[in-house]
Amino acid sequence: MKRIMTRSLIVWFVSLAFLAGIIFLGVRLVVHNAEWVQQPYNGHIASSGGLAKAGKIYDRNQVTLAYNENDKRLYHPDQSTRESLLHVVGDNTLNISTAIQSMYRTNLTGYSFILGLGLPESLRGNSDVTLTLDSDACRAAYNALGGRKGACVVYNYKTGEVLCDTSTPSYDPSNPPEITEGNEKDYDGVYLDNVVSSTFTPGSVFKIITSAAAVESIPDIYSQTFTCNGSLDVEGNAITCEYAHGTQTFSEAFANSCNCAFGEIAMQVGSEKMKATAEKLGFNNNSLKMSGIPIAESHYDATGVGENYLAWSGIGQHEDLANPMLMAMICSAVANGGTASSPYIVEDDGKLLDKLGIAINKANNVDMVSADTAARLHELMRGSANSYANRGVSLAGLNFCAKTGTAEVGEGKEPTAWFVGFIEDEAHPYAFAATVVEGGYGIEAATPVVSAAISELVN
Amino acid sequence: MIGISLQIILDVSVLALRALLPIYALVIVYQCFASARRHRRPEKPLVTLEIKETGQKIPVLFWENSIGRSKGSDIRVSDISVSRDHCVLLRRKEGWFVSDIGSKFGTFVNGEETEGRTKVVIDDEITVGHTTLVLKRGEEFQEKLRPSWFFSKASDKGSLKPYKLMILITFFHFFMAVEACFSNEIKDYTPLLIFGAMELVMWLFFCISSYALNRVNFELEALACFLSGMGVMLLVRQELRSAIVQLIAMALGMIVFAIIVKFIENPDRVDSWRLWIMIAAVGLLAVNIIFGRVQNGAANWINIGGISVQPSEFVKIAFIFVGAAALDKLQTKRNFIEFIIFSAVCVGALALMGDFGTALIFFATFLLIALMRSGDFKTIILALVAAAFAVFIVLSIKPYVADRFSAWGHVWQHTQDSGGYQQVRVMTYMASGGLIGVGVGNGFLKYVFASESDLVFGLVSEEMGVIVAFAIAAAIVALAFYARAITTRSRSTFYAISACCAAGLMVIQSALNIFGITDILPLTGVTLPFLSAGGSSMISCWGLLAFIKAADERTYAAKRRAPANALRRRGAVE
Repeated sequence: MKRIMTRSLIVWFVSLAFLAGIIFLGVRLVVHNAEWVQQPYNGHIASSGGLAKAGKIYDRNQVTLAYNENDKRLYHPDQSTRESLLHVVGDNTLNISTAIQSMYRTNLTGYSFILGLGLPESLRGNSDVTLTLDSDACRAAYNALGGRKGACVVYNYKTGEVLCDTSTPSYDPSNPPEITEGNEKDYDGVYLDNVVSSTFTPGSVFKIITSAAAVESIPDIYSQTFTCNGSLDVEGNAITCEYAHGTQTFSEAFANSCNCAFGEIAMQVGSEKMKATAEKLGFNNNSLKMSGIPIAESHYDATGVGENYLAWSGIGQHEDLANPMLMAMICSAVANGGTASSPYIVEDDGKLLDKLGIAINKANNVDMVSADTAARLHELMRGSANSYANRGVSLAGLNFCAKTGTAEVGEGKEPTAWFVGFIEDEAHPYAFAATVVEGGYGIEAATPVVSAAISELVN
Repeated sequence: MIGISLQIILDVSVLALRALLPIYALVIVYQCFASARRHRRPEKPLVTLEIKETGQKIPVLFWENSIGRSKGSDIRVSDISVSRDHCVLLRRKEGWFVSDIGSKFGTFVNGEETEGRTKVVIDDEITVGHTTLVLKRGEEFQEKLRPSWFFSKASDKGSLKPYKLMILITFFHFFMAVEACFSNEIKDYTPLLIFGAMELVMWLFFCISSYALNRVNFELEALACFLSGMGVMLLVRQELRSAIVQLIAMALGMIVFAIIVKFIENPDRVDSWRLWIMIAAVGLLAVNIIFGRVQNGAANWINIGGISVQPSEFVKIAFIFVGAAALDKLQTKRNFIEFIIFSAVCVGALALMGDFGTALIFFATFLLIALMRSGDFKTIILALVAAAFAVFIVLSIKPYVADRFSAWGHVWQHTQDSGGYQQVRVMTYMASGGLIGVGVGNGFLKYVFASESDLVFGLVSEEMGVIVAFAIAAAIVALAFYARAITTRSRSTFYAISACCAAGLMVIQSALNIFGITDILPLTGVTLPFLSAGGSSMISCWGLLAFIKAADERTYAAKRRAPANALRRRGAVE
């Protein structure tokens, strides 16, 4: 009998193993519940891709961007507005994974881990989501992009509110296209929000980062002069400018966007310090977020590849890749005395927070450069902006600091056009970045996009 | 406006009810468990054995005691002429017996060599080897005995009376019925009708148990009523006919329960029936193989006059019967070999039918029983190797068998095919239910095939919330802990083994069920004890519960009647 009793302890072990399994199941449930709920076949939220009972989405001026009528998901009445906001709002599918209707689907459907989806309709609270966007500005930027692939972001560098976020190519969420082998070229990358999810060769806008490195690590940078005769030979490979800029100071070289000078500056700084500065400014970092939406990792690394590539990397070529949102954040840091405000797109009205107990990811601001370096970069960008203003660039008549970029992307392709910067105005503290793929010169292709958005925002 | 606010009041009350039920379920499970820990006979020796030569006194604590030289013997005699396992001293209704279990030099009572079970009375002399043991009364030994963590102390506050427990459970089912009445799709009062019929059955069972059969406690039955009733109420809004079938099966289960408890009152009776039980079980499986019809890849159903029966469910009960035995029978080789052959036949037949889930349950239970009987890890390892070999053969002859489990671990890539269709829906609807559920009858999992049987854990999670679902799992674990705790006081190794293994079987089956449908283990399609729809499964669960009930020595103890109470009171006055 005693022996049997001892052996019967096996039943305990079996039971404990079972309990451990139950706990494991519980943990899985806690971790994955939102994912598990968001399935197209889920009867509680079925029809219209699970959005039949979802809340409305508003922009900052209470313009309704998405709503339901008779269990059908409907979007803004104007087609270009719909298309300009596709990547932010999303459509009925989960194809655009960074869209609010994907990222915040559980919030929109009123789901919570505690109450599940079983709340009677009369008791369902307000599961609407308000965005910080201005839909008019988005539409204006979208129209200015004019069908070319690209992105435009404008955000308030004091508060972090994203005011304009538009990405092309796009389609109409009310009438989604069927993407087939025949037309997939037209829709290449259509599910990506280029503002947050894509990276592009930065070209001359990267000179902001090179300048930051130079200011911080070359003590006599302001007393040096740089002579440009149109071409700089590094290890048998020539870095060229469009024309010879002659002898210039550091500030003049920045305003002229002189490749020869900046190639030399990058070599003076050295690959390690270049990389360290770029990383402080958010390159090689995959943890940046906009309201919980991950921002694609920008790339900079010219260590161990030789002087020639280092020189090229200093002018935003080589393997450099920059994300538009990050470029706007860097401009925000310059405007703010070294600290970039963290961007967010979902209005944090507290209601959502209380009701669902889910903290909206409002990350901390990012310290990028010292106040002193920021002041120097500010001056440099004001200098280059003056030359753009002289060439007719106007952002609703406001003072601005900026840098254009024209990034070469290979034989037979037009360059990628960039325009990044910020407005110097207490009432309109906007940082911006626009990218136009195969757009040509930055000053010609990218500035009108930003200008269109800012004009809408100011008026 | 008035209409809207009325709607809100109604919605709020239904929601409040839903939030209340999970806490309520936890209270019930706790109360059943707490009641099980109550009442315990003071642990004092039943009799004493006095070694004649030295005068040393040995307490006899159990109803069945092994006497021998080996360390694990209940009564250890250090005498080289005594075999390692010499004989068994056991107590039955008729008195005390000694039974030789193949010792080298035999066992003698008052000088005469024994053959089979030999009755001994107080002051009889039992001789093993050169040692003579004299049977004395239990009171002649005084020693403090170690306490048990499981049973509460006599001084502890008493737990709920059985009838109060039943009232608690009745209200729980009533609230479920009310919720079902206000379900989103259908609003009528049939749930209350089913509820009424069900409670009638349960209270009748309670009354018969306590007044006609004089059973002292009821917490095991209460727990089973709680779980079975929940299963019935969940079925009401799914398929009324199944709910009625389930209710009838529950009543039949209760009858089977009572019969088995009565049948194994005398553990020796089982032994004389053992062969017939084996033949019946093998016969059932044979009939199943010949006449079985294939359903969901397994031919484990037979149709008798329009009623589908799953014979393998009843074989589970036979399996426990055959596996367990009294201590003196346990020691014989023949008994064990018979059991091994019987197990191999059962597992083989089930695998042949394609019912791998049940085959796995049988195999795991076989390991449990084998371990409890022999304590020999060699046997277990041998069995595992044999099983691995068998699996290998099956897979090389029928490679498509493995396909049935191929989606395991990545069901999310199989949301629309049979590999993962059920599992992903279980998980989605589990999460949709949240902690408190969407309400009885409001779920969507009920439209998925087998939701009421194999997927019922998901259905409970969705409609009643994860807390209730986990409380059910906790109830099954509590059952196993209880089964193990009572073995310390059970009257025969037959009860100890059968209770532990019946509980172990239920835990293993629950694990295969719950973890199978949530993709932690491969989906094998077994039922969740008591809750899953299916008459055979319901009856078999009540049958298995009978083994646990029988292991509790309180079950067969005479109920204390009024005169006894009066006596005690008088004692107090004096």
